[in-house]
Amino acid sequence: MSDDPAVGQGCKEFQEWTRRRFLKHSGATAAALISLPAWLPRVVRAADHTSTDTLVVVFLRGGMDGLSSVVPYGDPNLYSPNLRPNLAVLPPGNVDGAVDLDGFFGLAPALAPLLPAYQSGQLAIIHATGSPDPTRSHFDAFSFMEYGTPLQPLTLFTGWLARHLDVVPPVGNGLLRGIALSDLIPKTLAGAPATLPIRDPAVFGFPGRFQTEAERRAVLETAYTAANDPLAGAAESTFATIDLLETIDFQNYAPSGGAVYPSNTFGQSLRSTAALIKAEVGVEVVMVELGGWDTHNQQGVLAGGMASLMDVLGSTLAAFHLDMQNQMNNLTVLVMSEFGRRADENGSLGTDHGHGNCMFVMGGHIAGGQVIADWTSNELLHPDLLHEGDSLAVTIEYRDIVAEIVQNRLGNTDLATVFPNYTPTFRGITM
Amino acid sequence: MDVLLTERKVKRARAMRIPTLLEFERSGYSRMMPGPMPMLSREELLDIESPLLAPRNRHISRREAGREQAPMGQGGVDPALLSLLERTTFGFSQSAYDDAAAMGYEAYLESQLDPASIDDSEIDAMLAPFDTLPMTGQEIYDTYPNMLGVPATQLIDATILRGILSKRQLLERMVQFWTDHFNINMLDGLVPYFKNTDDREVIRQYALTTFPQLLNASAKSAAMLYYLDNYANIVGHAQENYARELMELHTMGVNGGYTQTDVEEVARCFTGWTIYFSPQLGEFVFYEPYHDFEAKTVLGQFIPAGGGESDAQTVLDILAHHPSTAEFIARKLCTRFVGYDPPEDIVQSVKATYLATGGDIKAMLRVILQRNVITYLTTPKFKRPFHLVASMLRATNADILSIGLARNNLVVMGHAPFLWGTPDGYPDTLEAWGSALLLRWGFASALFDGTLSGITVDAPGLLAAAGGNDPASGTQGTDIDMILTGGRLNPAEVSALQQYYNDVAAQGPPAVNDTFGLAASVPGFQWY
Repeated sequence: MSDDPAVGQGCKEFQEWTRRRFLKHSGATAAALISLPAWLPRVVRAADHTSTDTLVVVFLRGGMDGLSSVVPYGDPNLYSPNLRPNLAVLPPGNVDGAVDLDGFFGLAPALAPLLPAYQSGQLAIIHATGSPDPTRSHFDAFSFMEYGTPLQPLTLFTGWLARHLDVVPPVGNGLLRGIALSDLIPKTLAGAPATLPIRDPAVFGFPGRFQTEAERRAVLETAYTAANDPLAGAAESTFATIDLLETIDFQNYAPSGGAVYPSNTFGQSLRSTAALIKAEVGVEVVMVELGGWDTHNQQGVLAGGMASLMDVLGSTLAAFHLDMQNQMNNLTVLVMSEFGRRADENGSLGTDHGHGNCMFVMGGHIAGGQVIADWTSNELLHPDLLHEGDSLAVTIEYRDIVAEIVQNRLGNTDLATVFPNYTPTFRGITM
Repeated sequence: MDVLLTERKVKRARAMRIPTLLEFERSGYSRMMPGPMPMLSREELLDIESPLLAPRNRHISRREAGREQAPMGQGGVDPALLSLLERTTFGFSQSAYDDAAAMGYEAYLESQLDPASIDDSEIDAMLAPFDTLPMTGQEIYDTYPNMLGVPATQLIDATILRGILSKRQLLERMVQFWTDHFNINMLDGLVPYFKNTDDREVIRQYALTTFPQLLNASAKSAAMLYYLDNYANIVGHAQENYARELMELHTMGVNGGYTQTDVEEVARCFTGWTIYFSPQLGEFVFYEPYHDFEAKTVLGQFIPAGGGESDAQTVLDILAHHPSTAEFIARKLCTRFVGYDPPEDIVQSVKATYLATGGDIKAMLRVILQRNVITYLTTPKFKRPFHLVASMLRATNADILSIGLARNNLVVMGHAPFLWGTPDGYPDTLEAWGSALLLRWGFASALFDGTLSGITVDAPGLLAAAGGNDPASGTQGTDIDMILTGGRLNPAEVSALQQYYNDVAAQGPPAVNDTFGLAASVPGFQWY
């Protein structure tokens, strides 16, 4: 999906002048090209770049079933006939059993590609976590989690990550601080400065006839400067981003370490993310979404729908981990979903909306190689401990995890702005 | 329940070929399981060609292009009528304005509210090559086995073409409104077999009738039963996907006053509402062995045991007449047609109309589209990509041989019909759409540069017909504004266009195309 030849926006001409532009830009520093990979642009590295991480947020839309992806096989209640007689993943050692992590939790077989990152100490898992708001509406849960104000009246319509960007100075030149690799801006980034939704950053050139590009661009720049927000700001970011992205040759980007990204959209989005981060053009946050987790019906934990999704997720994150080894010290990846699913399966081999869930956090300064959980008496799935009698409880607030990353890895101590009216408890996720 | 009776019903069910739970497991009916069930991807849609449209119709369009460029004096524009036209169509065109002006505000509105009274044979004839439009799910399956892309793209393309060319524009606006409201994702498993019927017999049939009728039809629609999994909602552990969205998104709204227990009870009421897979793929059936015959309580109302199919009908009646539903629908309609933050008294007035008329959609639209509201209370709305694309093609009377590349551009812009994944439907907010500008400019450039194969706009011809063919006239900016919007661009934009035209006019016709492309890209064209 990186290049849609059928879109028909004068592709040949477009590609030709992009290449010409690229040559023009890189020509001045031709000598430097010899020692550097051909895809790497010539952009001056932002001055103080070591103090903060680039943050990649992966949002799993639909309510990922954390009891299937990170299996609490040590909790005997999981195998109660009242919970998941058909869906529960068996303990390690069984056919199609979980892949052991720590003697209590195990990965679903389809997530096995994540094991090396976990074992290297750069992948942590938090379980029985999530938003404390009891809503089981996807859309309310998105709002509470992404605006960062669960259990409060919905009056703040900016994303927690947007507010973070808003209160910290830009790491680079500030022209393009955030990218959502999607058609629309997700709520997490609603209202973020210098942030655009760009589904495919490899195709982002100013359109139309090359001969009149400068004149047409000038007309639009003037017209949009006079426009109201959000159009004025969006246009400003758009023009800056056109110039930034045309310096990066996404097509010829070569991942490191032999990493191979899956050819699906999600895999290619993380590949583009890698190219973008390595190019050091000042992008501070990247958001990628992966939908399809609303598995009410025929969940397919071992083979089928959810297994396919977990395979996409696991193999992509594993490739990213491999590819970004040299960047890991300045990189944090956060994987989250709006809520978990009910502890008991329904009548069509699926699960309905629940509450607590797991999160994944990856990075060079993440206290990885462990599953952080407050699993009461090792029996959080006991009927007496289930949230509303049917779902995994939230024992660790997702804001505790996110706030610690914001402060310790993104260098932002203004947590009151990022998560108003909340005092986070750090859980030792960073180091 | 009587065991023998149940067994008999199971046997009958087997004869009807409703899959049993075990069959679900084994057969690959599963929506997500790769294997026997083909899945359609967003990328695949880009590769499927659109049927060529009949040349006869294209020639009619051309002739009209010459006719409709009668000069419209600035003083001749009725601002209220122009506003009504903008709110009830997918964009201004001179011919649409002239037709409306000939009727007058109220008569035009009434005719739009009565789409059957409007001759639409031209677009109907153009859509003749789209052979799946009148088909049932079974007919599509028989005609295009395992070719989900054919019915999917035909319906997407027909919807785009109707948005541009149908004279029943308010109907098309309402079809889009209800398609968002009762969202069904075309890329979900078997949906391409079912969505045609849903579009034809649910959305279009009831778009301008009453909300309860529309709701009832949607609840029995195979596309909806499949998309929200109710076809697999079975006694024992009822599954609540449809039940929840029915209350949250279709009727009461998330704060409408229901509880998790209500969701579970509604799910139990809907057990057994499913569809045939054979011999009539996608036909609704109430399948008793799947139904929970015990008593339920929904929103405080007791539903006694033994009700069967009527349980869910009772739920639909409760929901359709609930004040929260009236408020939810009223606010959503006002947000679509009045502005992002509609005045509260209009919302309450539309809600009162809903409650007084039993959810009469035309009656609610009459309140919203009355002259005083349109003239004084509307605030600008940002054209979503479908609206943007349609408005360019409408205003320029584009000559369309194939709509395929418009579809592809809408897919890339994230707004092709029926491709929104989650059940809340495409958002109707400025925040959602307001930051993706480049693809909008790209479409304008491609259209006027002539690189959208199958779609032709004669920009120089349009300008000449408007009197701007003399490079020295100095009215090209104004003329283009009148052609594209009826005069809605702001003066600074018009003079910038004029300046651009003056600067590049020596280059000949491409300068005219460029100027049109710019006009369709400036902020003023992005709103209505």
